[in-house]
Amino acid sequence: MAETNLKSEKKDELDLSKTEEILAKYEGAKGAIIPILQKIQLEYGYLPESAIDLVAERLNTSASELIGVSTFYAQFHLKPRGKHIVKVCCGTACHVKNSRGLTTKVHQKLKIHKNETTEDKMFTFEEVSCLGACGIAPVVVIDSSVHGEISPDEFEKLLDEYKNTNRE
Amino acid sequence: MKTVHLTIDDKSITAPEGTNIFQAALDNNIYIPGLCYHPKLSQFGGCRLCYVEVTERKQTRHRFACAYPVSEGMEVKVNTDEVNRHRKAVMEYLLAHHELACPTCNKSGECGLQNIAHELNMSPGRFKTVRMSAPVIRDNPVLELNRNRCVLCGRCVSACKEIEGVGAIDFQNRGFSTVIGTAFDRPLDCSFCGGCLAVCPTGAWQDRTLGFSGRPWEFESVQTICSYCSVGCTIVLNTKQGSVRRVVSNDKLGINEGNLCVKGRFGHEFIHSPERIKTPLIKKDGGFQPAGWEDAIAVVSEKLKQIKEKYGSNAIGGIGSEKCTNEENYLFQKFCRTVLGTNRINNMPNLKSPFLNDLIYKSVESGFATDSLKEIENANTLFFFGVDVTEAIPVVGCMARKAIKLNAANVVIAHPRNVVFKNTAKNDVRLTYSLGTQHILLNAIIKVVVENNLVDLKKIESLASNFRSLRSSLENFSLSDIERLSGVTPEVIRRAAELLMKPGNCCIVYGKDVVEDPLGEDTMKMLLDLCALIDVSNRSDIHPGKVSLFSARYHNNSQGVNDMGVVPEFLPGYLDINNTANREKIEKLWGVRFSENIISKNSLNLVDLGKNGNIKSLYVMGADPIAEHPNGKEARECIKNSEFIVVQDSFMTETAKLADVVFPSSTFAEKEGTYTNTGLTVQRLNRAIFPVGEAKPDWEIICDVSKKMGQSFSYVNTKEITEEIKKAAPVYSSLSYDRLKRKEFHWPSLLSAKKESNKYTFYAIQVKSLKVKGEKEFPFILMTGASLNHQGYYSARSKALVSVAPECFIEINDRDAKDMQIKTGDMVMVESRQGKLKLRAKVTRKSPSGIVFVPDAYANTPVNVLIYQAHTPVKIYAVSEK
Ligand code: SF4
Ligand code: SF4
Ligand code: SF4
Ligand code: FES
Repeated sequence: MAETNLKSEKKDELDLSKTEEILAKYEGAKGAIIPILQKIQLEYGYLPESAIDLVAERLNTSASELIGVSTFYAQFHLKPRGKHIVKVCCGTACHVKNSRGLTTKVHQKLKIHKNETTEDKMFTFEEVSCLGACGIAPVVVIDSSVHGEISPDEFEKLLDEYKNTNRE
Repeated sequence: MKTVHLTIDDKSITAPEGTNIFQAALDNNIYIPGLCYHPKLSQFGGCRLCYVEVTERKQTRHRFACAYPVSEGMEVKVNTDEVNRHRKAVMEYLLAHHELACPTCNKSGECGLQNIAHELNMSPGRFKTVRMSAPVIRDNPVLELNRNRCVLCGRCVSACKEIEGVGAIDFQNRGFSTVIGTAFDRPLDCSFCGGCLAVCPTGAWQDRTLGFSGRPWEFESVQTICSYCSVGCTIVLNTKQGSVRRVVSNDKLGINEGNLCVKGRFGHEFIHSPERIKTPLIKKDGGFQPAGWEDAIAVVSEKLKQIKEKYGSNAIGGIGSEKCTNEENYLFQKFCRTVLGTNRINNMPNLKSPFLNDLIYKSVESGFATDSLKEIENANTLFFFGVDVTEAIPVVGCMARKAIKLNAANVVIAHPRNVVFKNTAKNDVRLTYSLGTQHILLNAIIKVVVENNLVDLKKIESLASNFRSLRSSLENFSLSDIERLSGVTPEVIRRAAELLMKPGNCCIVYGKDVVEDPLGEDTMKMLLDLCALIDVSNRSDIHPGKVSLFSARYHNNSQGVNDMGVVPEFLPGYLDINNTANREKIEKLWGVRFSENIISKNSLNLVDLGKNGNIKSLYVMGADPIAEHPNGKEARECIKNSEFIVVQDSFMTETAKLADVVFPSSTFAEKEGTYTNTGLTVQRLNRAIFPVGEAKPDWEIICDVSKKMGQSFSYVNTKEITEEIKKAAPVYSSLSYDRLKRKEFHWPSLLSAKKESNKYTFYAIQVKSLKVKGEKEFPFILMTGASLNHQGYYSARSKALVSVAPECFIEINDRDAKDMQIKTGDMVMVESRQGKLKLRAKVTRKSPSGIVFVPDAYANTPVNVLIYQAHTPVKIYAVSEK
């Protein structure tokens, strides 16, 4: 490879021993890229850059190829995700029932936009398009609990509750 | 293979069974639009433009030409209304969000998308257009990526993965947000082969060395040969107003199928470097003064005559060039032997490995080196021995990957370092042997072959002689001894031996680390013995195959300079100079009588003679011994001991700095002639521009100097010299300069006829083991080698290459680095008994513990100041940046 970057490389300082363990499990197995990436995501919550580089090295492939694969599937995440995943439905029904007001609340309170994570790694915010629960629009899902017919103010309270429980 | 008959647009054609319609059309010059299909790459079928009507077994349907195989009696229609309607619709989608920046796009005029748009006579589409405006990515020195022009055809992705083996780029994201890019949008960090650029049908990838200095239709194109490494790729120089603006490749020309490496494609800027020597220079009072040709030649002629009178002809030495053409080297030795009257001539590769010429000739005679490099693509087994293919002969790597892709070839790589060769071979066996044990390793492979009956021993005995000695040479070591010494386990040796003996074509490439080893000569002989075993086992009716041996030479014409006889032992074409008949033949051809000293005595080589003060004058053409000789200190002494030094070169090299007269010579772009590559193939250069400044081709300079010295060489062009070479060198006798325009010439073809009658005799070398260990004070062993990004002073004057790789470095094993608390990027001092060099550290696993590696290709960092023997011990310590 090019010899351009001789200055010491700074990557995320990550404990890669878990990645090593996962790789060891799949040693010699062909076509195991997706399961390996899944296991790594399960372990770290996302696909860390240094883990991807290690996988690429071991599987005799390139990081670009791995990221090509993982950005094709919605299930993989390249950035660390928060402890709580806040999903606001922006499908047609929810939109009509003011889901915009809910997303604005997230911007105000948590200071993050779509697909971003708060600095304290507490919340990740996602907009989804239709959760199939239009009857109770607008819908918010936090982790796995569903909150229907929710107003922006109720949503704010809910977020506060999550914040406070975490402080303890 | 079966042939199939079909018609395309009523034209009857034939194609091999299994070909797709698109390829069959291409082969028959029939146009089918398409953006994603590329003959070099695996089929992708993403652009949907190659829609055609196919009638087969009385059924008419629509098919994608690149994804559908031909069949007997098939009728294909490329231009029906229905087909064109479909095609136009696809184009409408593609153009709906295309940048449409044709007036400012460098691809305009040679753009696949533009061509198809014109071909289909497209008019404004039905869709609302949303032009993309993603910023252009300029994160590396040679390539820029404008994603707004990308049609996601996937060619660049496949080229990068399949041909270059790198996979630096891929499709990222999905749906509308799909783009071509790197992981995590990191800056492109790859081998910069430019393969992506070459296959891209649109203006998405751009050559940054071109900038905006010309449009495709303004260029004149001249096909010529790359002047860097010994692969001898064909490149096409695009010139405008007498200057070279860029290098492109052409898949249909030469041996490289349009594949190039970073040097060949982007390393052309040296041609117009401001550092070129533009006039003759004469040294006065310690500095150089520009001079006219007349004056400079007069000084040289006068001085050389004086030296000759004072000390005799033998006091003059000549160093030929592994970069100049065959014609120039031929003339150079003729000039030295007749005008100067000295046989003390040599060249860099021969000074490094003086036995190599004999053994390469021997391998040709034995029928092991009779194929051109292209044969690598037909290999079933590839064996790389002591050569870092990726760094030294990169495009051979592409050929090898082709063999792996098409023939499922197996790979065996033996090297003291963990050299990188990216590939997808099912079997990729690595023999990482301890330095100095290449001998033992090879002995072990032969041992396994013989003792495990991997070859029919009876057949061997009948087809080759001295087999008994070979057998007894295998008894000295057991496989466990071998493991202890070489670090390679018996298991791995066995697997390697099995792969090598597998029926089919076996291509062996050996390189610097074999031939520049103190045991290089013996190792090579063992390699020939191994070839003989493979050869015999391949002589079968059921699985016929052959063995092909290639010596990875260093420079573009390292082979040719030796073929031309710029060595003391041989006249051109490896004619023994001590043989009277040979001498007489050449005397007659040249119309001269050699003086008595034109013979080869087994004496010291040129540099040793110079070091001892026996050379009073040196004439150097296109070489830089101070930087290129393995022992930089000795070379410098040799030069310094000379009273009068003449150098012909394009740049002020370390040697030129010490010269008394420097003649400016033209680069490859400015001259005609031939080079001989590592596969012993002679290929022709074509002049693209007139010489820069007052420079002249080296052959003209030699003619001028000879004339002044009273012997006129009256050649009007290089062709005349080529004609004379044909008469002098038997192996070049059927070369035709004019035919070279169309087809390269391969010299072993003349010798291989002899092969059948010759029975191979095994060398049966007794194994020695060479202990290579550091010393207490100097604990590391220094290895040197080629670099993908640089090769001497041409690359050092090519801006793009300097930006890709600005600085030389030392590779240190990660464990050693940890012990010394050295990190990548730290400055370290490397010190041997002979010298010191400050280098930036690169911590790696490529070099094993105890070994450090420094590329010898950075002209501004002469690693040879450290070296006084093969495997020089060094020590390393951290120093501050300043
Ligand atoms: S320059 Fe070569 S290695 Fe780099 S991305 Fe392009 S094809 Fe791949
Ligand atoms: S960059 Fe060029 S070669 Fe690569 S996918 Fe886009 S159009 Fe095709
Ligand atoms: S340097 Fe060698 S591999 Fe690269 S383009 Fe030139 S001849 Fe080909
Ligand atoms: S060329 Fe056939 S689909 Fe692109």
